[in-house]
Amino acid sequence: MWKTVLRRVLIMIPEVIILSLLVFLLAKAMPGDPFTGSINPKADPAQLHHLMEMNGLYDPWYQQYWNWVVHLFQGNLGNSYQYQEPVTRLIGSRAINTVWLALLTTFLTYCFALPMGMFAAKHEGKLPDTIIRFYTYITYSIPFFVVLVIGIWIFGYVLGWFPTTGSVSATAASGLPTYGSHLYHIILPSVLGALFGTVNVVQYLRSEVIDAKRSDYVRTARSKGVPEKEIYKHHIFRNSLLPIAAFAGYSITGLLNGSIFTETVFSYPGMGLLFINSINYRDYTVITALVLIYGILNLLGTLLSDIILSIVDPRIRIE
Amino acid sequence: MVKTKNKVVLSAAVTFLAAVTLAGCSSNNSSSDNSSSGSTAQIKLKTSFKNSAKTDKNATKNGTLKLAEVANSPFQGISDPILASNAADSHVFSPGGSNNLFNVDKNYKIIDGGLANQKLDRKAKTATITIRSNAKWSNGDPVTAKDVEYAYEVLGNKESTSSQYSSDFENIKGMAEYHAGTSDTISGIEMPDGEKGKKVVIHFDHMSPSMKFSGNSFIWGTVEPYEYIKDVPISKLASSEQIRKNPIFTGPYKLDKIVTGESTSWVPNKFYYGKKAQIGHITINVVSSNNIVKALQSKKYDSVVPSASGEVGGTTYKKLKNLKGYTKVGQPALSYSYFAFNLGHYDTKTGKNVADPNKKMANKKLRQAMMYALNIDQIAKKFGNGVAWRGNTLIPPVFQKYYDKSAKGYPLNIKKANKLLDEAGYKKRNGSKWRSDPKGKKLVIYFGGMSGSSILEATYQDYLQQWHKVGLNVKLYGGKPMEMNSFYDTLQKPSQNKIDLWDAAWSLSSEPSQSQLYGETAPFNMGHFVTKKNTELINKMNDSSAWNDETRTKTFKEWQAYMNDQAAVVPEEFNYVWQPVNNRVKGFDFSPANNELYSDLTLTSSKLK
Repeated sequence: MWKTVLRRVLIMIPEVIILSLLVFLLAKAMPGDPFTGSINPKADPAQLHHLMEMNGLYDPWYQQYWNWVVHLFQGNLGNSYQYQEPVTRLIGSRAINTVWLALLTTFLTYCFALPMGMFAAKHEGKLPDTIIRFYTYITYSIPFFVVLVIGIWIFGYVLGWFPTTGSVSATAASGLPTYGSHLYHIILPSVLGALFGTVNVVQYLRSEVIDAKRSDYVRTARSKGVPEKEIYKHHIFRNSLLPIAAFAGYSITGLLNGSIFTETVFSYPGMGLLFINSINYRDYTVITALVLIYGILNLLGTLLSDIILSIVDPRIRIE
Repeated sequence: MVKTKNKVVLSAAVTFLAAVTLAGCSSNNSSSDNSSSGSTAQIKLKTSFKNSAKTDKNATKNGTLKLAEVANSPFQGISDPILASNAADSHVFSPGGSNNLFNVDKNYKIIDGGLANQKLDRKAKTATITIRSNAKWSNGDPVTAKDVEYAYEVLGNKESTSSQYSSDFENIKGMAEYHAGTSDTISGIEMPDGEKGKKVVIHFDHMSPSMKFSGNSFIWGTVEPYEYIKDVPISKLASSEQIRKNPIFTGPYKLDKIVTGESTSWVPNKFYYGKKAQIGHITINVVSSNNIVKALQSKKYDSVVPSASGEVGGTTYKKLKNLKGYTKVGQPALSYSYFAFNLGHYDTKTGKNVADPNKKMANKKLRQAMMYALNIDQIAKKFGNGVAWRGNTLIPPVFQKYYDKSAKGYPLNIKKANKLLDEAGYKKRNGSKWRSDPKGKKLVIYFGGMSGSSILEATYQDYLQQWHKVGLNVKLYGGKPMEMNSFYDTLQKPSQNKIDLWDAAWSLSSEPSQSQLYGETAPFNMGHFVTKKNTELINKMNDSSAWNDETRTKTFKEWQAYMNDQAAVVPEEFNYVWQPVNNRVKGFDFSPANNELYSDLTLTSSKLK
């Protein structure tokens, strides 16, 4: 297996190079530059020109690309034009916010979805099953930003239970109160995200459990007199987790993707918002860095999923 | 799935960017009447809120004034006004006093009494800046002559990331050499009592009457904490801890805590030289434009950050004007929206704009007719909610002295439009429904506009319809409103034949000289309108005759009349900067003449009203 892993990693290298080249060229092909639109009576175009030159933005693209690659290997992703600080620091600060939000959301999603999926499958075709299926379809079909807007309106503004903007309170004292404030700020978005993001897990688990319920080994266990509870716990549940485990790799790397909707509605400074802003601003260094990171994460995600799958299910071998 | 999501939000975000950054304020969100045609939808608001309730001393001392900064992306967090490049940064750091050197009056004229006083000597061609003896930074360090001088170094350094430097500063002796890197010091800035002294003398090549006003392009209006930041190379300043994490200020409040991109919180600065701050805490939180109405309605904030550019526009006005527990304050904005015509090109070799008499829009009567065909009053009334109204001249009313109240501008007059077109030879020929040019050639005019709100798009459609009414075949360039970057990318080319006229907006500095917008050498003169008379008038705004206030005012009025007649750039809408202030806040006055805005504030109760 490790041979396969190594091979996959080696293949990733040219993939990443091609990806970076594409990203770099596409970013440059967009009309405008980081300084377009900075028009006011006090901005001297000569100074903007000077800044363009200073940042090497007039160099031919291959030279700019080469400089970028050289810096990349020195661990330097450049400076953000918009934020005027190192891209690594900028992304770092946003990534932390995004990871916390995503972790809690993912955790809550599984907390809600796993019992729901099991319960629905157990009562297949009966009322609880219908209700849960109905619930998942409804939540799936409502656009998520609508949920967020209604959620923030009811729980943030009308009831005033949760904060409505940012990732931490402006007045929280440092130390424990700051962490508490962080947690307080992500509860509402992650609960909403979890409640309305259950459909995949519930449906996969439900159909797997229903399949497993009818499989031979379950029938054998039943006929041997194993209690129903034990059957579900040991025989059905574990086997039904396979497709969910297959997703796990993506989920882990996906933690960094950030949710553009959530971050926009809650003015939560994470990766998604950063990505959108950098595109609008033509903040080339940030765009290329982010796309590269996303690309690598996706490639790693597939690999990780395969590995997890082979660990969970010894029958599956990747060669 | 994720991809589609990105796209949707992207277009939404672009839309917003165009509407906010570009319009500088709001070309699109509001308007109402115009002063000359007599419709009276324009609102009248006071710049101050005279709260008669009694100050609650305990609530003031222990309470928190909560302000919102309306922005759809995290602020950048650069506290230094020289290095910051957007309004959000200057807003979230405003309780620190923005390190302003001078106090101003209601016309933004520099007056004595601030951190420093300024004296101009026309004969010696110098400006002498004298810092008050008790001026201190919020860490207790005194403000010194070097702090004034260092601002010019940060501004003009070759390696500086600031975009605020302009060639006008080369009027200071030795600045050009310093900027080019051939000299380590600026020879024209002298500190007669040494770096630790309180006096700075700046030597100029020539003096300009604009130097009397704050926001002029020759004398920089803020100080830099030299002692505090001297160890950081200027190229690294913008990303340094001293500027981002623990900045120091000269104003009434000092920074207590900053959450990068999200919020700042402030406590009184005991070293402040002026009126002592009274409220225990001020917090400023970023709130997105989608949430601000709800946030104010549910009383989460006392107000938005007071600023000259305005935080909430006309669409918000409609929703918030009757908000219980809040009082509205407002003043005319520094910004305006405008139409401009493409009349020439920019010669990159000589650095001058050149008018081209063969351009499609070169005929003055055609331009005038196009403006008379529009019903901006109606648009302003429909969408402006009283906060915006038709502009009648190119100097907005905030400049009370220079603004020409009597200017007519271009109210709707279809008859006159048709007459002008007929006179100029733009006639319908061979039974066509469109007018052709005087030579009988087909005439198609391309109109450029930026994408923004649905209101903006409806406005463009109305404009096109009006032009069609007078027989002009005007089309939206590209068939639809343009994304902001493509729009300015097209217009800023030295020469372009794609867009014949366009609609955009910008904001003036608090010193309204026009050379950098419409001057012969101004690269931002994107319509390339150049005439001898225009150059003459613009120069006259700052020549020796303009030291006399009356003459300067006369020149400004003359220029406005001339520009109105030429119709090369025509104002579209003026607007009001306004904000709701919670009734528990006392002493709120955001007129430019109030130099102690934050110090004046007190609270009359511990809870929002």
